[in-house]
Amino acid sequence: MSLLDDPKAAFADLTRPEWWVLGVSVAFLLFLFVAMLTGGLSPTYFLFLVGLAGMYALLSFGLNAQWGFTGLINFSVAAFFGIGAYGTALMTASGSPIAGGFNPLVGLAVALVVAFVLALLIGIPTLRLRADYLAIASLGLAEVVRLIVLNERWLTNGSAGLRGIPGFFVGWPVLSTFPEAMPGLRLEVVPGSPVFLETPFWQASLNGLLVVAFAGGAYLVLRRAHRSPWGRVLRTIRSDEDLARALGKNTYSFKMQSFVLGSLIMALAGVFYAHLNLYVGPGDLDPITTFYAWVAVILGGSGSNRGALFGGVVIVTIREGTRFLNDVALPIDPAPLRLLLIGVVIVAVMRYRPQGVLPPQRELIWPSAVDGGGTPETPDSGVRERKGGGGDE
Amino acid sequence: MSDADTENVVLRVDDLQKSFGGLAATDHATFDVERGTITGLIGPNGAGKSTIFNLISGFYEPDGGTVEVNGTDVTGMEPYEVAERGLVRTFQTPRKLEGMTVREAMLVGPRKQPGESFLTLFTSPGTAAESESANLAEAERILAEFEIDHLATQPATDISGGQMKLVELARAMLAEPEVLLLDEPVAGVNPTLAKKLKEQIRRLNEQGTTFLLIEHDMEFVMDLADPIVVLDQGHVLTEGPPHSVRNDQRVIDAYLGGGA
Repeated sequence: MSLLDDPKAAFADLTRPEWWVLGVSVAFLLFLFVAMLTGGLSPTYFLFLVGLAGMYALLSFGLNAQWGFTGLINFSVAAFFGIGAYGTALMTASGSPIAGGFNPLVGLAVALVVAFVLALLIGIPTLRLRADYLAIASLGLAEVVRLIVLNERWLTNGSAGLRGIPGFFVGWPVLSTFPEAMPGLRLEVVPGSPVFLETPFWQASLNGLLVVAFAGGAYLVLRRAHRSPWGRVLRTIRSDEDLARALGKNTYSFKMQSFVLGSLIMALAGVFYAHLNLYVGPGDLDPITTFYAWVAVILGGSGSNRGALFGGVVIVTIREGTRFLNDVALPIDPAPLRLLLIGVVIVAVMRYRPQGVLPPQRELIWPSAVDGGGTPETPDSGVRERKGGGGDE
Repeated sequence: MSDADTENVVLRVDDLQKSFGGLAATDHATFDVERGTITGLIGPNGAGKSTIFNLISGFYEPDGGTVEVNGTDVTGMEPYEVAERGLVRTFQTPRKLEGMTVREAMLVGPRKQPGESFLTLFTSPGTAAESESANLAEAERILAEFEIDHLATQPATDISGGQMKLVELARAMLAEPEVLLLDEPVAGVNPTLAKKLKEQIRRLNEQGTTFLLIEHDMEFVMDLADPIVVLDQGHVLTEGPPHSVRNDQRVIDAYLGGGA
């Protein structure tokens, strides 16, 4: 059932953790909204944060499709993110040493193709082997990609990075001139602290639109895939690959599909990032991105798309929220403690809720099949809470 | 061999060999499984029964010899390719599917589901939904036949070991095997459930499925299987109907550790 068909039933079906997350999210959004109205948070910056949150959500969606669905351990999230960012940047940026000046759609296509090829190259030798081999190989891959970007100056401009990346909508009818065409607005909700909505705001709202389209699209694809027979084979592989093989599933092919799908979604995050930041450098391929994506997926609950989304938002909240703590009079500067805070959060989650905040909570059978032929009662209250636990570290 | 012979033999193991280091786990083993039988594979611990299962189902690659399923040489094929040719196996220890309900775990069974193709999910979701409905109905029908339909929406990890064995057997049937390899179907199962499993295996056999089963419970296997293949130190010691196997001095010696 969906929220639109039957809102009452959809709400009644929510589990306790879902209520918590929903409640906290709504409260948090209200808080941000009030902050914007009172001028505490600039709407343009808010939209930038939405962009970052969407980007991290994409990264964790991608990793969830690999680790959460299939149990593939990929430590090269940053590499696929970087391939996405550099792929589009090299095609579109004015400062690109090889091409440049192409439409960002070309950049998007090139980024996805390169990520696809790279995923195949790393998958072919490792996916037939035990799970640890992919982990080791991907760890190496991330460094190789980063060092190539840093050192092959003729190709990537080296440590100087790539400047002059256009916005994603350059060359589109209407949308490319939309930010300039919109009038500057001045809202004064609270007397004395006006809020300005000008060209940068409209530019940022286009970026927000883009990331919502990317992340929303990825989410819809993953949601359908997750509850399909395809997703069920992946979950079987995660639990017990030999069982899947004995039942006639070509597990190598399924693992490859899952790995490529996840990698493409990570590259999508990179493409978005390049057109948000308008500059990419080798620093964007630092392994910390991989770390953040893993934290987001484990925090949200491995195997759950909503969990990945939630985890991505939490990461951005911690990363960016700590900047504001500087304004509050604290005896120490809290910003450098960001990583520590993330560490504390992950330790707390592992200790008190090892399956993550929003693990998969329902049985995953194609919805119309259950509504049509299956038993009518609400499925499996017993599966809730227990799902996804245990095996996740 | 004649054509009629090939038609009657659903699984042919010929001169199969496999060593681990210096140990010949399977030592020139040769036997046939005839269509429509419940063939038992017995032997003392370490006789190489599980190794043979792994060789037949494609989990191990043999050092020599051939395996034929329905007249097709499947030696060296991947397990999924062997399964595609109609040979499905279960495992000694029930495999748990974390986070799935029993009926969800059952739905892994059917082979060649349209919804297992990623593209089909988006190009023709209707086909996927249709086959999912049919498979779900079939899964629930089989669960009912096994008299465990009340477990359908229980977490698959929460049921007893014996029930897991039943679910495994039921799921394997969803894959529509011509020959089903059962690795110790009643190990660790209480007598009541073991009896139930025996009835189910017999019923499925009457409906046309051929079985090859490893079992240590002599009473169970002697009652159910005919013929019985006795394995000792990797090679076939003897084969025949239960009563002749039971009275064969070589078999008794093998089990008592003598005769070497």
